Amino acid sequence: MTPYLGSGALLAGLVMAGFSALLSFWAGWRENSVMVQVGRRAFYGSAAMIVLASVLLEFALLSHDFSLAYVVEHTDLSTPMPLVASAFYGGQEGSLLYWALVLGLLGSASLFASSALGLRLAGYAAGLMASIMSFLLVVLVIVASPFDILAVTPPDGLGLNPVLRDAGMLIHPPVVLAGFASFAIPFCFAAAALMAGRSDAAWIAHTRRFALMAWALQSTGLVLGMWWAYHVLGWGGYWGWDPVENVALMPWLATTAYLHSSQVQARRGRLRAWNFGLVILAFLLVVFGTFIVRSGVVPSVHTFAVSAIGPWFFGFLAVCLVFSIALLAFRVGGLGSNAKPAPAVSREGAFVLQNLLLVGVVVIVFWGTVLPLVSGMLGQERVVGASYYERAAGPLFVAILALMAAGPLLPWRHAGSPLLLALRWPAGAAAVVLAALLIAGVRSVPALLAIPLAAAAATTCLVEYWRLGLKLHRSWRGWSQAVVLVVRRRRRYGAYLAHLGMVVLVVGVAGSHFWQQEKDVSLMPGQQVTVAGYTLTYTGAEQRQLADHSELVGAMRLGDQTLEPARATYAGLGGQSLTHAAISSSPIADVYVVLTGMGGDGSASFQVFVNPLVSWIWAGGAIIILGVVLGNVGERRLASELAVARVRSAVPA
Amino acid sequence: MIPSLKLGVLAAVVAACVGYLVYSAAGGTSEYYLTVSELRSHTTSGVVRVAGVVQNDVQRSAGGLQVEFTEKDGTASVPVEYHGALPDIFQPGITVVAEGTLGADGIFHASTILAKCPSRFSTTPYTQ
Repeated sequence: MTPYLGSGALLAGLVMAGFSALLSFWAGWRENSVMVQVGRRAFYGSAAMIVLASVLLEFALLSHDFSLAYVVEHTDLSTPMPLVASAFYGGQEGSLLYWALVLGLLGSASLFASSALGLRLAGYAAGLMASIMSFLLVVLVIVASPFDILAVTPPDGLGLNPVLRDAGMLIHPPVVLAGFASFAIPFCFAAAALMAGRSDAAWIAHTRRFALMAWALQSTGLVLGMWWAYHVLGWGGYWGWDPVENVALMPWLATTAYLHSSQVQARRGRLRAWNFGLVILAFLLVVFGTFIVRSGVVPSVHTFAVSAIGPWFFGFLAVCLVFSIALLAFRVGGLGSNAKPAPAVSREGAFVLQNLLLVGVVVIVFWGTVLPLVSGMLGQERVVGASYYERAAGPLFVAILALMAAGPLLPWRHAGSPLLLALRWPAGAAAVVLAALLIAGVRSVPALLAIPLAAAAATTCLVEYWRLGLKLHRSWRGWSQAVVLVVRRRRRYGAYLAHLGMVVLVVGVAGSHFWQQEKDVSLMPGQQVTVAGYTLTYTGAEQRQLADHSELVGAMRLGDQTLEPARATYAGLGGQSLTHAAISSSPIADVYVVLTGMGGDGSASFQVFVNPLVSWIWAGGAIIILGVVLGNVGERRLASELAVARVRSAVPA
Repeated sequence: MIPSLKLGVLAAVVAACVGYLVYSAAGGTSEYYLTVSELRSHTTSGVVRVAGVVQNDVQRSAGGLQVEFTEKDGTASVPVEYHGALPDIFQPGITVVAEGTLGADGIFHASTILAKCPSRFSTTPYTQ
């Protein structure tokens, strides 16, 4: 019964989304308020159908309904229940349904709040969103239905791969997929504003909220992905510049650029065409990434089932690309600025340069990702490894870090002699840290650039907080007044907190990248190994039997701790084995031990990594999210006030 | 006119830097991605990546850290020698990508072995 209901819900959702798309475009064009409303409600209806289909699929999974191919292919009776539930987004078809679900829910929320933007813009935005939804539903109904039925119902399923049997599976994929899906919403509003010929700041305020949400989700997803890779994959690292990671990073970079450049438009009414371009670019990168990841056109350590959805997404990418380019080409003429540009050395100039650098990083990552494809077409296939990305993108990241230090202290319009004075604190901090590193014997140029600049960027944020403190102190009128002031300027102080988080993350990346130490050893029980001052003693091996796997544990003593790196073997899955790395974490360094094998003579071999400052990466990620959330809670009213104020000031009297 | 010119110059400078970085980094570090049969006819020296299926002759020594096996595609095969930790899913029958150089002795000396990761999107369709 469930599969028929599920397929029916998807089909009904498709009909409603298609209807909503056609009606909304027409109603927006005619500015017919009743029909705009009807079109929007049809989108809500489509979203409701997707919620129903999702509930049905989850129900089928949890009740082990092995008449469904999807349930058989991704779960079995021995899989723990939380992981059975996670199979909803764990497979190709289910993850597309999850995408449609996120688009339906967030899209409905964004449309619900869109009436104030004017009928035409609201209608077009709903039409675009319903068009994207229709595409996803066509794919779900025709080529990748999660509700396909098997001719014979098997007694048990195939189960989930052991690598994915981890708590990380419960949090990383849903967050990163939700982030990916939500980039569509700023795109719809940006494209609708262009179609409607609107380039004022009203759409910026509305779009920014959803761009920020997508950005925050994607940031969380990226950090969780790094954390998961670090803890589960057992190679001592957290980022491998794999195509799958790259396609998740690129829309994040483009949106980071947009969140900064939208400030220039909101404040100064400039960079309009550029802002439209960035929002559109982020969405195109999402569609491109989905095509790359799901179609198997580039070699990746992740193999993806070559599935029928590849050509569909290629077609969708082509349509989106042509539509976006045509839209920008026809509309960009009307986007000229009416404000006088600021001098090059100013806050605005820093934003522009930062944007160009971020787009430069996108270009570098994009080229590295598509190189196998391009070179394969021209002759012999070539690939690039991590060193390409480090050498090409590294200098740009260093320049962006320098801008993080200088930009916030530059005034919006004028720059002159107070400029050098303003930069004295970060410059001083950088000099002190540089001297300390040199004295400590560091000679690696990238490290000598990155870490002092990180210190400078941190100092800049602290100077801003210090100034806030001084201001509050000077005009002290009690705690309630102080809180009101901070809350009113929360966007600014939240942004500095996010900058501080980014600096902490950068220090973690730099530390673990420049000073990682590794040793491969083979030890008899009682023997010791010392890596970077950490002494580990091998105490002996032990075989353990757990619910769905057995573990061979090689215990190591580190101070008063016992580390238990293990190799797990899953009997039910053709004897597939899985490494469980043991990690002893501290703010200074992680000791990361992998059991690589057992000799016949009682010896065990280990790979021991000492990764300095890795925990700073997770802390930095958490601080970034905290800054973004604190800075934007209850943003809505503030944003619309600002927008109204800016529009008024942008219109010449 | 002047400010947009200034912006254009800035954009051009950044674009030139990015172009140079891509060119120099890709030129210095890109590697050929070959199948085993392509490796046999490949003439340029240097580090390459070779994709093939692990055969049923895996020999481990030195506590599992020293590994020798044969990598094969449809028509050709090559012996591979590797020192280090292997990916978890390494076993006869899976596809691996070995990064390294082909020695004069005809043995491929791998510095890295990447296993094709069983992704959450990849499953053997259930057919019965």
